[in-house]
Parts: sequence; structure tokens; C-alpha cells
Amino acid sequence: MAEKRRPTAPVAGASEARRASPARGLATESEEEFLRQAGVTSMLRAALLKVLEARPDEPLPFLAHYFDNLGLRSPANGGAGEPPGLLLLQQQRIGRALWHLRLAHHSQRTAFNNNVSVAYECLSASGRKKRPGLDGRTYSELLKRICRDGEAPEEIVSPLLQKIQCRDHEAVPFDIFRYGMLTCFVLLEFVARADALYEVLDDSGQADRRVCQAVLDTLEGALLAGDFEAPSRYLEAGSQLGPDCLALAMDRALLARKSNSAMLRDEFLEKAASLFIAKVRPVG
Amino acid sequence: MLIGQLAVRLQGLLGGVVFPAWDSRTTEDFYAAAASAMSRVQVPCHIKGAVALQVGDVRTVQGRPGVLVIDVTFPTAGPFELQEITFKNYYTAFLSIRVRQVGSPNQSSNKWITCLRDYCLMPNPHNEEGAQDYVSLYKHQMLCDMDKVLELRLILRQPSPLWLNFTLEELQFFQHGPQSPSSAFTKWLSHPAPYEQPALLLQQALPDPDKVSSEVQQMWMLTEMIRANRTTARIGRFDVSCPAASALSSLALIWP
Repeated sequence: MAEKRRPTAPVAGASEARRASPARGLATESEEEFLRQAGVTSMLRAALLKVLEARPDEPLPFLAHYFDNLGLRSPANGGAGEPPGLLLLQQQRIGRALWHLRLAHHSQRTAFNNNVSVAYECLSASGRKKRPGLDGRTYSELLKRICRDGEAPEEIVSPLLQKIQCRDHEAVPFDIFRYGMLTCFVLLEFVARADALYEVLDDSGQADRRVCQAVLDTLEGALLAGDFEAPSRYLEAGSQLGPDCLALAMDRALLARKSNSAMLRDEFLEKAASLFIAKVRPVG
Repeated sequence: MLIGQLAVRLQGLLGGVVFPAWDSRTTEDFYAAAASAMSRVQVPCHIKGAVALQVGDVRTVQGRPGVLVIDVTFPTAGPFELQEITFKNYYTAFLSIRVRQVGSPNQSSNKWITCLRDYCLMPNPHNEEGAQDYVSLYKHQMLCDMDKVLELRLILRQPSPLWLNFTLEELQFFQHGPQSPSSAFTKWLSHPAPYEQPALLLQQALPDPDKVSSEVQQMWMLTEMIRANRTTARIGRFDVSCPAASALSSLALIWP
């Protein structure tokens, strides 16, 4: 109802302003009045705050997406005749949650956590259901959507989902939701890095299997370094993963075996991702 | 002079009390001093009184001949290898040493051999310089080998009429210690332990290690972040591994 009233108010205000006085000064004042009454000022202010918080590389598409989502926020769109179906509603909510989650990179921890909580609220709030909260089915769907949009291969995603998925009927608390979201985004970045690493190892069009395996083994060794206190573990890993140690490992691998087959990108990514997923704590 | 000061400090640290006059000494003496200070064992000796050599009767003729002889025997120690002689000078200008060693078996008597001839202790016998110095004499300064020393005879000369009484004080004789850490010492000095150098003898053409290293380190960092960020929340699932009871297994927070 409030939306239906909104289009009429500015028209009335403008016509009143035109009827009231044709003078310039009053027209300026009434323009400000018009903007405030239309709610445009607050809307733009919220939009600018969002841009400042997210700091996107391309502000214009970001703002376009923002206003797009703004229109979807109210359950009944102004002008739409029928209320949308339940499935469409859920898709919309997932889409909105995704958009919120993508606003900040996972390394910007405060902004990311804020967005995660907003997304959680968005998914949990629903007018139709009796009990608010996030169910396992929506959570799983969201996870799959994130991985699919990030173009992660299926063989990598499914072991991760097995670890962090929840059953359909379970209610997902906020901590587990946050952990799942963070793990997904970090895995996507990890896969991107592994891809870049494969590119570096793939000089002259062929990534030698021995070299790839040596690099992966060194990474595994550094990850196993362990149960010691944090600073010494980081120092040890840093020394193991330094350029000279890696060069020695690769050189030794090339001298050790004689085979000359190449490792494919998919296999490399799968092996690298398995190292990552091994460190993910399963939900339960 | 700097070497001299170092040697003095070294010997002071090692407990030796010998301060040789270093002006005319060489680096060989310095190393010999360092080596000997590390491992020397004093040999007990019997020093007979200084005898002035003069022509005629000592009691009747008043004179200062300027030559003294000191005999040194080693009754308790058998023939030994002499390494070092230390003493404190007292206005002796020149020193000669004769040694009697165990000779070869076919010789009947042991002969006296001069091992040090007119060693100058005071550059100018009339002046004070070197008159009261502490002096060390080493094996390598001798003219012959000092392998099996039986007796020593030190001949002191002071030609200046200014110094009527002259002698050598605090005579000490040293041989090699049971083991010689000096060799180990110098080895340590001359061959410091090489720190590990990465063998940059890479045979094949490898992918750029810097880029590989940076990517791998980022991957490690991401994995560590996930490992560190483990949530402690539990979903409260009760799993019973029985197929019939699978529907009843998840009791907590069941969604209608």
C-alpha cells in the first residue's frame, strides 16, 4: 500500500509546487523536498554506503546489481499481479543471499562476516513458514550454487560438500553457515591459485608429472608440519616453501625418475584440492 | 706490534706468565708461543749455581770476567724433548746454550753440542734495554734437534763494565704436553665450518621457482586459514548406524 501511494505523492507535490509559485528559489527548495519525500535521498545514501563498504572494482555494474536486488526485496512487487510461487521465492532469496555474500572478499574479514549475517537473516526470514531459520536444503543449495558460479570442477566440489553439507531437515546454526560459506569461497580461491600454479609449471605446453608431484608433495609436507606452536610452524613452512627448497625438490624429482609423462590440469587440481579438503573439519 | 699485543693477551688468558720482548720477534715465534702455551709440561730440573769463568784464582784476583755458566741437569726426568725455555733476564747481554743429548748407540760418550750461539738479549750491553725482560726460547730457534736432552749448559756473557752482577732468573724448561690440542686449535682457526650453501647446480630447465614458490605459499596460507578457522558449533546430530532406525536417528532440531 505504501508503494502504491508513493507514485502519487510526488506528482501531487510537483503539481502543487508548480501551482504554488513559479519563482526559482522556491522551485529549488521544493526539489529537495521532492527528493526527500520520494525516499530517493535515503535510498541513494544506503547505496553509497554499500559501495563504500564493498569497494568494488567496477562500481557501475555493482550499483546496477544493487538496484536490481532492491526491487526484489519486497515480496510483492509494485505492479505484479500474482504473488510469486514458493520455489521462485526461494530462488530469489538465494540469489539475494549470494549477492550479499559476494560483496566483500573473504579476506576482508569484518565486511565478510557482516555480509554473511545479512545473508543468513535474509535466508532465515520468511513470511510463509511457521518457524524462522535456515534449513539444510536451502543451505546445501546455496553451497552448490556458489561452487557452480565459481566454476569449480565437480570432482573437487563433491568431497567438500560431503564434509560441510547438512541434511535437508536439519536447522543450520549461524556458525556452521558462516564456516560453510567461508570454506566455499576459500576453496574457490584455492582452486584458482592451483590453476595459476599449473600454468607456471606448464611451460612449453607440458607439465612434467614428476615436477608437479614434487611440488604437491612439498606442499603436503609443509601442511603436515604441524602440531607445534604457530610461529615455529609458519617459519618452518616458510623455509620449506622457499624458492631454493622448491627448486631443489623439483630438480631432485627430475633426476630421480626417468618417466616423461605429463600431468593434466584436472588431475593436478584434484590432487591439490584434496590437500585442502583434508584440512576442512566435517560438520557433525 | 699488534701481533705482539695479541700474543701477550693470549698468553695472559692461557695462564702463561711469559712476556717475551716482541720487537725483534717474528710471526713464527708468535705461533710457536701460541702453540706451546696450549700444551706444555714443565720438566723438573736442578740448576747449579752460576760459575764465573775467569783466568786465575777466583779468590785472589779481583775481577769481573763477564762470563757465567749455569749448568742444568734433569735427574728425575729422563731424556726428553725440549720444547721451550723461559726465564727472566737480569742484565745478561748474550746467551749461548750447549746441550748434551743421548747419542747414537755406537758412540761411547755423549758430546756437548752448541744449540744456541750468542743469542742477544740486550741490544746495547751498556743500556737498560732488554735488561730485565722475560724471554722464551723455542725448539725451532735451536741449531740442532732437541729430542733427547740430558743436560744443558747456559753460558751468559755481559761485556759491559756497568753491570757487574748478571744472571738469569726463574729458569723453566718445558716439553710437549700429553696431547697436542694446538694442532686442533689451529685447524679450527684455519678451517671454519662452512655454512650450508644451496647447491645451485640445477641440471634441467625448471619452471620459475619464485613464481612456483609464491603460488604454493598462497595455497598453504589459504589451507592454514581454514584449518585455523574451524567452527566449534555442532549441529547436534545423533547418528545411529542401523538402517531401520535411520529415520529416527536425527532427533535434535528436526525440521517439520
